[in-house]
Amino acid sequence: MRTKATALGAALAALAVLCALFATSASAAPAWKFESKSLEGTEVILGGALESSMTIPGLTTKCENFLYKLTIKNEAGTGKGEVTEVPLYNCTTDSPVCTVDKIGAEKLPWPSKLTTVSTTPYIIIEGVKVGIDYGGVECAVGETLVTVTGTAGGLVDNVTETATFNSSSFTATGTSLKALSSKIQWNGVFPTEAFQWHREQALSVS
Amino acid sequence: MHKYRARVVCSAMLVVALTALSLAGTAQAKLTGAFTRFAQCPYKNTEVRKCIQSVTESGEVVLGSKKVPIVSPVTLQGGAGPVDEITEMSKFYAATNGVTLSKTPQNVPGGLLGIVPDASSPPLVKALIKFFLENSLTGVNSTLELAKTASDISISEFRIAAEEGVGLKIPVKVHLENPFLGKNCYVGSSTSPITWNMTSATTAPPAPNKAISGFGGEGEFLEEARIVVLKNNKIVDNAWSAPAPTGCGGILSFLVTPIIKAQLGTTSAGYNTAILKGTVSSSPAASVKKNDEEHP
Repeated sequence: MRTKATALGAALAALAVLCALFATSASAAPAWKFESKSLEGTEVILGGALESSMTIPGLTTKCENFLYKLTIKNEAGTGKGEVTEVPLYNCTTDSPVCTVDKIGAEKLPWPSKLTTVSTTPYIIIEGVKVGIDYGGVECAVGETLVTVTGTAGGLVDNVTETATFNSSSFTATGTSLKALSSKIQWNGVFPTEAFQWHREQALSVS
Repeated sequence: MHKYRARVVCSAMLVVALTALSLAGTAQAKLTGAFTRFAQCPYKNTEVRKCIQSVTESGEVVLGSKKVPIVSPVTLQGGAGPVDEITEMSKFYAATNGVTLSKTPQNVPGGLLGIVPDASSPPLVKALIKFFLENSLTGVNSTLELAKTASDISISEFRIAAEEGVGLKIPVKVHLENPFLGKNCYVGSSTSPITWNMTSATTAPPAPNKAISGFGGEGEFLEEARIVVLKNNKIVDNAWSAPAPTGCGGILSFLVTPIIKAQLGTTSAGYNTAILKGTVSSSPAASVKKNDEEHP
């Protein structure tokens, strides 16, 4: 009888440890902070990607200018936001026969939220939809609108004040973007800087 | 004089031989690399915009109560015209070798007794079946054939990739083959075809069938994005109806055809399914033509 009770106790303890571990690795919601103080009200972040490319196996599309406008706020201590504008300019492909005739974000705003995975902060952008109109008579998708859809998870670096989207950040957050019904790779480094009330203030997430 | 004539004849023969060789050279496409899959595309036809090759590697066709798994690859190949603004689909163009849809036989599980059971057959049919059984001629093949011309097929590779709406509309007939069944045992015909409206999205069939989903496939570009390939593509339709079989059993058709009809059971919409899994490749006709011209 005593053995049974001991075994049950051990199992419960193990369960508690497991729960604690999972609680740490799952999303403990962080908040937006300026100069280490939680953001009150809303703020607008504007910026441009340092580099950004999207790859469907065999075709990479790059944009020299990948700008964004993100409105952020904290709700019940959790950082949230909305991507309201994503102008994309000077986009090209690595194919000699495919051009980018038109590219644009669709169905804006895209809701976003902050989360942590194993104590590392990430930003999750949901409802991403970008339409790319490729051109070129010899291009396999010439005169075809290719739509990129899905959810994107990016690593937030408090030191460099950037959000980095790559295969590691997508894997860590369990997110993915799709085009031509297959997973695509999106790489992008996005600086985050306040444009409204907190200009030139250090932005962090914790 | 004789010597001169002989020389003229020899020269003429040489010219004919060289002309024949050069004609043979121009008739044969010299496609290279991944473009070789479009060897039968009518890319020289100025109305053709894209070259298409779709290879079904697996799947199944359920006709009433009979399920035939697809185990031997079936190829659909040819060209696609400009996209129609109303239907958003493109007219299909026949393969240059005439084999737009390959006639690939698939084994019917249960064989002859599966579609003409001994027990429920009249004595004459029973005696014939016995003969075929004794001579090991029990295997039955089911071959999918085009019921109309290639131009009656319409395709939208964009819809297939985007998992939206009907991506392939194709009129087919099923040829049931066994010496006992004769040469003309078909389900579907050119006047009464089975029309498949294949989709990579989700179907909405009448009962008792339930919704099933396709898959656009995993996109990949080849030849510097001149070819797009959708691997593991899955297109489905389970809302089609099929007419009754015809012409089965040769001169005993009046006896055999009703038996097969009974064995298939209800073949109205809601009782049939087509699931085609494979690889879809497409390339602009301009790219294929250029590849051909670069390798004369």
